[in-house]
Amino acid sequence: MGRLEEKVAFVTAAGGAIAGATARQFGEEGAAVACVDIVEENVKETAADIEAAGGKAIAITCDVTDEAAVKDAIDKTASTFGKLDIVFNAAAFPDPLLPLHELDLDIWRKTFDVNITGMFIVTKHAIPHMLEAGSGSFINISSIYGARSARKRPAYCSSKGAVRMLSKSIAVDYAEHNIRANSILPGPIETPRLLVANKNMDDVIERHRPHLPAARLGQPEEIAQTAVFLASDESSFMSGNDCFVDGAYNAL
Amino acid sequence: MGRLDGKVAFVTAAGGAIAGATARLFGAEGAAVCCVDIVEDNVGQTASDINEAGGKAIAIPCDVTDDDAIKAAVDKTVSEFGKLDVCFNAAAYSEKRHRLAEMPLDMWKSVIDVNLTGMFIVARHVIPEMQKAGGGSIINVSSIYGVVGAKERPAYCAAKGGVRMLSKSIAVDYAEDKIRANSIMPGPIETPRLLVRNPSIEAVIERHGTRLHQKRLGKPEEIAQTALFLASDESSFTSGADMVVDAAYTAF
Amino acid sequence: MGMLDGKAAFVTAAGGGIAGAIARRFGAEGAAVCCVDVVEETVAKTAADIEAAGGKAISKICNVADEEAVKKTVDDAASELGLLNVVVNAAATSEPLHTVANMPLEVWQDVLDVNLTGMFLVAKHAIPHMQAAGGGQFINISSTFGHIAWPQRPAYMATKGAVRQLSKSIALDFAEDNIRANSILPGAIETNRLLSRTPTMEQVREKMVPLHPIGRLGQPEDIANAAAFLASDESSFMTGSDVFVDGGFTAV
Repeated sequence: MGRLEEKVAFVTAAGGAIAGATARQFGEEGAAVACVDIVEENVKETAADIEAAGGKAIAITCDVTDEAAVKDAIDKTASTFGKLDIVFNAAAFPDPLLPLHELDLDIWRKTFDVNITGMFIVTKHAIPHMLEAGSGSFINISSIYGARSARKRPAYCSSKGAVRMLSKSIAVDYAEHNIRANSILPGPIETPRLLVANKNMDDVIERHRPHLPAARLGQPEEIAQTAVFLASDESSFMSGNDCFVDGAYNAL
Repeated sequence: MGRLDGKVAFVTAAGGAIAGATARLFGAEGAAVCCVDIVEDNVGQTASDINEAGGKAIAIPCDVTDDDAIKAAVDKTVSEFGKLDVCFNAAAYSEKRHRLAEMPLDMWKSVIDVNLTGMFIVARHVIPEMQKAGGGSIINVSSIYGVVGAKERPAYCAAKGGVRMLSKSIAVDYAEDKIRANSIMPGPIETPRLLVRNPSIEAVIERHGTRLHQKRLGKPEEIAQTALFLASDESSFTSGADMVVDAAYTAF
Repeated sequence: MGMLDGKAAFVTAAGGGIAGAIARRFGAEGAAVCCVDVVEETVAKTAADIEAAGGKAISKICNVADEEAVKKTVDDAASELGLLNVVVNAAATSEPLHTVANMPLEVWQDVLDVNLTGMFLVAKHAIPHMQAAGGGQFINISSTFGHIAWPQRPAYMATKGAVRQLSKSIALDFAEDNIRANSILPGAIETNRLLSRTPTMEQVREKMVPLHPIGRLGQPEDIANAAAFLASDESSFMTGSDVFVDGGFTAV
């Protein structure tokens, strides 16, 4: 008996490491999963993994900043699986490292478009289905940099701070409809994306070491397990929370 | 296959509603549970509930402010079950409402003693056992009143704020020993204790007004589920975190 | 014309670096100041400095953990100064480094007594004077370590987290009496206290400056500036706030 039996989930960035692990975990726990990503190949692989493991999944290629495409994707999810009750919002733009006065307005806007406006769009079109289903759970990926700052990432940090307040706003506005919204604030997680700006994982750990009591990177599966808890009815009184999953990064 | 198979848990205030529900859930998920409370009848009941349901439990009547007694209780747990790797710290004293200037010093001291120093005493005796076990998870019950103020409860607020930082301190200092420490901040939870000072649960809901968005109180089982997540290896990268379980009460 | 003309302030730990700077600044801004400390020499020096600069000051010896002494000192200060409407609560111990597991209970208690209970006692006995004066301001010194953790300071952090909530409790409960209460959370401030654990200020700077984005240690005057603002009517809509004066320490 899975912990998400009978539930239907919509997972953005499902071709990536964190959301991919989450989508697979959702599938394993019994949810039907719509895997959504802008990169067709990756998202198809996640959906295929879920089906190969005996779960139910579809893959949808979609840009979260394209409202019409998002609406189609959500409606397709609901028509395929009969309803929608979980949204895992993880799409984020790989912003360049730049101090604020050197950051082009375009990059600032692009970061906000994907990281927060995309989340707004997905949420906006998911809520009617949740209202119909009588309940729902949003799991929005913020970051420890939504609470602490990171050097040369003004747009990322601002947007991740915004994610936290967006979740709280959803939590407050839809509580009476039994729709919950929580943020997850991951610490440094071992994903291929980290290798864009770092030589290897040891370098990443070394760089974070003064702020990382756990002295290791988190695994995508550890975020996925948190998401399962927040998606399930086990967290039925939790809403508006900032769930730090960061090896005590934010405690120090 | 339980989510806490092979684990041994030490649960304080296990005769009460929240920790009682937690102890029973821990037992149902496969943990051996040492139920600790100052009231012998209540804690015996919780332990026998667990045993009757097919779990393993012992009951130890014990005052968390008694350093020697807690050490003896921890030692007994280890001699009975072989180790100790989960600790749910919930013992709390809820004082009569007073504004600060009218609060007798003795009352202040007894609240700080039970709610804050009690957690310190329990932690200092379970940590060495967790070190021997190769790791562990400490779950300290703070309160939303460790985050926001409550009317006429200066000592309770101060103690619960203290609990929150005590968890972070343990998280930082014992990360290298693979000991995690997190706080749970429950919102208003439906327990018999509420009826000591309120005529009915409806009156409590009425009093909390608009911040109680769902017009319902939380159930002890909803805190227990959060504790289960934090006790299990599913939360392996979560340490030093504040788990606010309040249906967005403090997000507003 | 000073920003604190007509006010009478009670400043604990006034012989120390931070509270000494606050007392002198208050005196320069026109407040009558009662300088309080456990060490006679240093507190007399602070009062003499204020008078030499043309201000009004008295000094008193008092252990803030001793209720009778606190009551007498507060009452005497109010009658000698004619009123009492500002309190700066800065007394704190400088405890040796311990983890939870190896901290003796006595050390824990001592830290709690001075840092937290002392604050409660001063507040308790000052409030009636503030009510008689038609209002007042509390400035409670917490710490960035009341927000984030640091190795081996469990008691300190627990109390500093508690201080924040205590301020909020006072803010809420005495708002109708026109009494405000705010916490200041200083980063590393250049005082002799820093030398209790590190041999030279140069070594302190080497270790701590990189953690402060602003690129220097704080000066006691930085905290005095914030305290003057909070004591003055310029901050009349601020109460229950956590005022970080930390050079960006907790923003990173």
